[in-house]
Amino acid sequence: MGVATFWHGKRHWTLSMVVVCLVLGALIGVQVHSQKLRGDTEVGRQTGALVSMLTTSQAQLDQHQKEIERLRARVAEYELEVANERGMARLRNEELQHRQIALGLLPVGGPGIQLVLGDSTMRAGDATGTQTLYVIHDFDLVQVTNELWAAGAEAVALNGQRLIPGSAITCSARLIRVNDVTISAPFTFLVIGNKENLVSALNIRDGMLDRLRVLQFQVELTPLDEVVIPPVAVPPQYQYAQPVTEEESP
Amino acid sequence: MNIVLPLIALVVGFLAVYRYAPAMPPGWGDFVAIAILAGFDALVGGVRARLEQRFDEGVFVSGFFANMMVAILLAYFGDKLGVDLYLAVVVALGIRVFNNIGRIRGLIMTRRIEDRNANAAQPSP
Repeated sequence: MGVATFWHGKRHWTLSMVVVCLVLGALIGVQVHSQKLRGDTEVGRQTGALVSMLTTSQAQLDQHQKEIERLRARVAEYELEVANERGMARLRNEELQHRQIALGLLPVGGPGIQLVLGDSTMRAGDATGTQTLYVIHDFDLVQVTNELWAAGAEAVALNGQRLIPGSAITCSARLIRVNDVTISAPFTFLVIGNKENLVSALNIRDGMLDRLRVLQFQVELTPLDEVVIPPVAVPPQYQYAQPVTEEESP
Repeated sequence: MNIVLPLIALVVGFLAVYRYAPAMPPGWGDFVAIAILAGFDALVGGVRARLEQRFDEGVFVSGFFANMMVAILLAYFGDKLGVDLYLAVVVALGIRVFNNIGRIRGLIMTRRIEDRNANAAQPSP
């Protein structure tokens, strides 16, 4: 039997081959077609991303424009007040008050929280480790303070010591000192800020308080409607830092 | 001309769908690719069976659709289970296709050699 005769067979062979090839061809057609469409939509998606970037930039531009207008109005206000000396003094006074609050030179009040931290009820020998594991250290307080600032605290006092830029919490000879004043447990933080935000930020899973509670430290967190925070006892002195005016700055 | 008709059918099927097919849902691409591979495997298997003179259209057509379904199902469940059964199907079918093509080539070559030998033997009475 030769190759030519070899290919001749029953009609059924041809028929079933034709059916199968038709289906296979259709499937390949679908696949190629959709691959082509996918390529097209890829381009569409990139265009979409660019459009959204453009929209975002436009929104930012609008926002900046508004900010410029606001500042212009402020400048106009200042210029107007310059004409009126007493108005100028009032503005300066307002400005000064803001700076004094920021520096902790004025007592401040407002809603906030009180956070009391005490040493652990666990004793050395209860579990592995020494007693130093179960007392509050300076770095614990630093970390809590950091979490408070991060949660939007506007004013913080630790055992009556106002925390300001430059306040250091240190430890020497097993005594904790803040603003160069020695303090001891229990440690009481008074904080002014958004109560809900502060509480939820401090209670965050695996946060500082969570870790302290695991080791059975005494942690008392109470939101308060009115917190009064004293001013800093010794205002910071600036010996080296000097103001730099616009022209001098590089 | 038995081989021409199936080829024409292949082209017709391709063009008909390519021209007029609506967009396929995304995510079906892998399954259609698997189905194509399974279908191609069945096709090559059919040709081989024909050459070995043990072709049966019932076995061929049912095998074509059943293999396709099984391949798609395997890929689908692999996808659901997070196992790349898709790859297993591709490898298995790929090996089968190559084996079958090799057999087909071997069969055709054997026939040609036999043909030539027969022709060479014939002229001398």
